Amino acid sequence: MDWDLLHRAVTTIGKGVGTTLTLASVSLAIGFCLGLGLAVMRVSGNRLMSGFAEYYSAVFRGTPLLVQLFLFYYGLGQFDFVRENPVLWWVIGGGTHCAIMALALNTAAYTSEILRGGLISIPVGLIEAAKAAGMSRALRFRRIEFPLAIRQALPAYGNEMVLVIKGTSLASTITVLEITGHAKRLMSQTYAIFEVFTIAGIFYLLINAALIFAVRRIENRLTSPAR
Amino acid sequence: MKLKLLSLAAVLACGLGPVAHAAEGELVIGTEGAYPPFSMADANGNVTGFDADVGNAVCEKLQLKCRFVVQAFDGLIPALNAKRFDVIISGMSITDERQKQIDFSNSYGEFPNQFVVKKESELAGVKDLDTLKKDLSGLRIGVQSGTTHAAYVEKNMPDAQLMTYDTLDQMQIDLSSGRLDTSFADTSAQNDFLAQPEAADFQLVDVVIDSTSDATLGKGLGIGIRKDEGELKEKINQALCDLGEEGTLKTASEKWFKLDISQKCK
Amino acid sequence: MEFGLMQLWEGGWVGALLRGASVTILVGVGAMLLGLATGIACGLIKWARVVPLNWLVDIYTTVVRGVPELLIIYLLFFSSVELVARIGTAFGWAGLAETGYPFLIGIIAIGAISGSYSTEVVRGALAAIPTGHVEAARALGMPKARIFRRIILPQMLRIAAPGVNNVWQATMKDTALISVVGLQELMRTAFVGAGSTRSPFIFYLVAGAVYLAITFVSQSGFKRAERALVLKGRA
Repeated sequence: MDWDLLHRAVTTIGKGVGTTLTLASVSLAIGFCLGLGLAVMRVSGNRLMSGFAEYYSAVFRGTPLLVQLFLFYYGLGQFDFVRENPVLWWVIGGGTHCAIMALALNTAAYTSEILRGGLISIPVGLIEAAKAAGMSRALRFRRIEFPLAIRQALPAYGNEMVLVIKGTSLASTITVLEITGHAKRLMSQTYAIFEVFTIAGIFYLLINAALIFAVRRIENRLTSPAR
Repeated sequence: MKLKLLSLAAVLACGLGPVAHAAEGELVIGTEGAYPPFSMADANGNVTGFDADVGNAVCEKLQLKCRFVVQAFDGLIPALNAKRFDVIISGMSITDERQKQIDFSNSYGEFPNQFVVKKESELAGVKDLDTLKKDLSGLRIGVQSGTTHAAYVEKNMPDAQLMTYDTLDQMQIDLSSGRLDTSFADTSAQNDFLAQPEAADFQLVDVVIDSTSDATLGKGLGIGIRKDEGELKEKINQALCDLGEEGTLKTASEKWFKLDISQKCK
Repeated sequence: MEFGLMQLWEGGWVGALLRGASVTILVGVGAMLLGLATGIACGLIKWARVVPLNWLVDIYTTVVRGVPELLIIYLLFFSSVELVARIGTAFGWAGLAETGYPFLIGIIAIGAISGSYSTEVVRGALAAIPTGHVEAARALGMPKARIFRRIILPQMLRIAAPGVNNVWQATMKDTALISVVGLQELMRTAFVGAGSTRSPFIFYLVAGAVYLAITFVSQSGFKRAERALVLKGRA
């Protein structure tokens, strides 16, 4: 048991944990808002809006995240008008920002499907009762539809959050030094493949376990026994 | 069902001895295939470049047929140990870290390394190493992963932002699009890049760093050989000596690098 | 704005991309089959609670579903080169083991990942079969093998079908990850083409379009299969 190596592995790879968590949380935050918007567009009666949301979802769920990432980072980075525009370059220029954008757009598509499932699972009777009580569209959405949809979607969304955490590892392919980036670099230097993989894997398993635990707690709180 | 068969087969296979990889009279050479001008592979897997010439020359001396296998650079050493090929000829330097994993032939060449920057950059006019080291602090330096260049920058420029790439292409794309301030690689690869149209605004920094200046840069190019293949290593060393004497290495070097990086055996 | 369409056409990259796409499909199908076989075996073990095997299965699914696929691929690529080569030789694929090494490793890696998701789908499907059916069959004195063949398996397949479709979609997309270790599938071909022509946008756009096409075709294929299964079930 090479303690020096293990110590080096834990400290090096540990440096990436902060980046992984940042990537995941910002992407999830942006992705959730976008996904919510897309879900609302999807269930709206407007053909243009629901069509757009449907195509967006199909495209982002039908292509690999790696392709999307490379398309944004290398593909868009190829054009002069992108390089010279400070706003666009702030997003695409750096690996971290670009990865967040790609992850956010990707998770938005999956989130919209999950939330759409939540929204259409609301019993029609509840909506009709709200209408009969004279609630405005916005109020109805805020007090009835949204909370119920969230509660229904929570288990599936917990899954999606774990997938986003795993998705952050792809950022290592565009130079971002999160957990996988550090692990790969260490593997190339030391050739201690199993040890490095185990340490990195444990980090991810701990993060995901904590996440699932938190989601289950929230689930329990929300589905408290009926009065 | 299928799983049981698979595991049974795996158990049997372990007793079948080493993978029968090379036909008699064949030398299988592992190389990267994406590192001009050392090693370039086209879509059909034909390898050209300095490494290919050295490989073909060695095969001729050993009276064996050459077969090249293309593989990502940082996977070359594990693959050699797993007997996927017999030797590695891929612009690989002899370093202590690598010698823990595999053996090397005698050095057959030594190349200088340089940084490449934009012509307008303040680094462009730097002439000595110490100023360069100071100026590089905080900048984004691109290197290829698993190379001596990566190790060198990590050790000597710890304040710089090190960006590692799997392939030279990716690094060069990011350099020309402005995501990197500079890149570090051997001079011939850098010259190859500067010859491209997109590198019109770039130039070499006039500070030549050769392998004698730092242990991380290794002790010259070597042919990678497994540790238990002492006989093969002897034969290859002999072949390299002969090729050095005959001037074949020098000719190949001048053809690809326009300068002679070859070394005669001691 | 140089989109690079001309370079794509002239460099003969269209053929290369199509070849890459066929490798992608081959690896995807191979991995899916390996994953399904693994999934059925492991799903059964978990459902039947065969101790201590089901603990091993639990470890397997937990690790593979909790650790990023990229990391798993790096592990298998960098370390088990020899194991894969020997398995290949055992199946008489010694030649394939050298030239097709990344291909084999790709199928095994993606297959292992796909298998963990298939395991959950199979287990869920088995758990959804009403226990009354199995009890009734046992009460009728049916032998175990026949119970499995006539009662459990058909229902499991039908219930698992949508889940299997999802696993297939995910498996197809995961094949893109093997490009980072050099297998000449679609993503890798696009990567090489993008690098050598310096026109990444058009290459990755086309690659994305091909993946979309594969997704679309398999979606309609699955819908048709599902319809056939449902009809059969009614009879």
